[in-house]
Amino acid sequence: MDGVSFTRRLFTLIGLVLLQVLFLNRIALFGYVTPLFYIWMIVRFDSSMSRSSILLWSFFLGLIIDVFSGTPGLNAASATLLAMFQPGIVKLFVSLDRHDVVVPCSAVMGSRPFAGYLLFVTVLHHTVYFILRSIPLGDWTVLVLKVVFSTLLTFVFMLVAESVSSGSGLKR
Amino acid sequence: MRSLLDFIVRHSYVFLFILLETLSLVLLFGFNDRQKEAFMTSANSMSGTLYSWRSGVGQYFSLRKENAVLVQENARLRSMLYELTDSQYVDMEKGMSSDGVVAARVIDNSVRKDDNYMTIDKGSRDGIAQGMGVYSPAGVVGVVMITGKRYSVVMPVLNGSTSISCKVKGSDSFGFLEWTGGDPYKALLRDMPYHSEVTIGDSIVTTGFSSVFPENIPVGTVAGVEHSRNGYTLRIEVDLSVDMSRLGWVYIHTKTRDEEIDGLYEQVLK
Repeated sequence: MDGVSFTRRLFTLIGLVLLQVLFLNRIALFGYVTPLFYIWMIVRFDSSMSRSSILLWSFFLGLIIDVFSGTPGLNAASATLLAMFQPGIVKLFVSLDRHDVVVPCSAVMGSRPFAGYLLFVTVLHHTVYFILRSIPLGDWTVLVLKVVFSTLLTFVFMLVAESVSSGSGLKR
Repeated sequence: MRSLLDFIVRHSYVFLFILLETLSLVLLFGFNDRQKEAFMTSANSMSGTLYSWRSGVGQYFSLRKENAVLVQENARLRSMLYELTDSQYVDMEKGMSSDGVVAARVIDNSVRKDDNYMTIDKGSRDGIAQGMGVYSPAGVVGVVMITGKRYSVVMPVLNGSTSISCKVKGSDSFGFLEWTGGDPYKALLRDMPYHSEVTIGDSIVTTGFSSVFPENIPVGTVAGVEHSRNGYTLRIEVDLSVDMSRLGWVYIHTKTRDEEIDGLYEQVLK
């Protein structure tokens, strides 16, 4: 299967789901700032994967988080939307002359483009997530605050994850 | 025709995307609340098991505090028991039986959201039913909202939809306890008659009218009193006696309303 084995993907998925529902969902700074770090899995899908399998993995990742968080469809919808645009967003941040497989990480993309990519992806996902969650839309300022601060928190988590994975060399 | 097929095959992921996204949105908006309750809450056994495992691990870290609370409660109960035995003959067997009370462990809890929920590890097979009162040694916690077979979801005081009838200890005028969001240590007692004598520091307890809770379960203390806008009632700010963020074990009051009272209500409402 596409580069990384199915089993390994499955373990990543289980690990991220457990981390999200057991620990991160409990974080609710000021009542609404929650890191949605589980999108790390979608962030790291490389360009060798077919778009259909990216969509399916992301949909099920979101759906399983939903089952445990009591929010049917919310994470599934926002994760699937992110998965649809992830390959295109990666291309925005990589120089055009590359034809080989692009793994989204700082070693391949360079740390500044990678950070930009992370921020772009997170803002997109969190905006969709919080808009869907706050329907019917009432207070725009609260919505913007939720998006901004949760994005920052998720972004920090992802930077830590990136430095751990690139430092240990376990993940490519 | 050929090129159309090619186009469809090449862009099959677009159709997959539309399918998955539609499915998600149907899940998100298509279900009414009842259907959601059935399988998408932590009353379902899968997430119940997971949360109970987590709280099983987490509980070791708060054992000392839990113990202290239990010891205090023990002491209070003992002193009540002695008062009773002093005054009258008490059937010890009956007095010590835990009839009508079920103890449960809190396995999932939130206090910082707009509407908070709590999951406990007892369900319909333990005799828990919707509408039963939940309290801890320190005081009122909430009301059972949904029961699964082994787990239940509790709507705690810290939820916008909760309303519990309460009174000032020792008086008969009562009001309804509600939560307006924000501070998890404060709630509001509404609809108290304006002539009731309330002073800061008074204890607020349950009325026992609805038989959801027994009478005189502590709720909190009065932190502030003001007249409501219409002038006929008081708005009382209450410091909750229970720290909702540190709940380990809770009791569920399973003695529901008398059948006779139920029968009477039915007659009235006919």
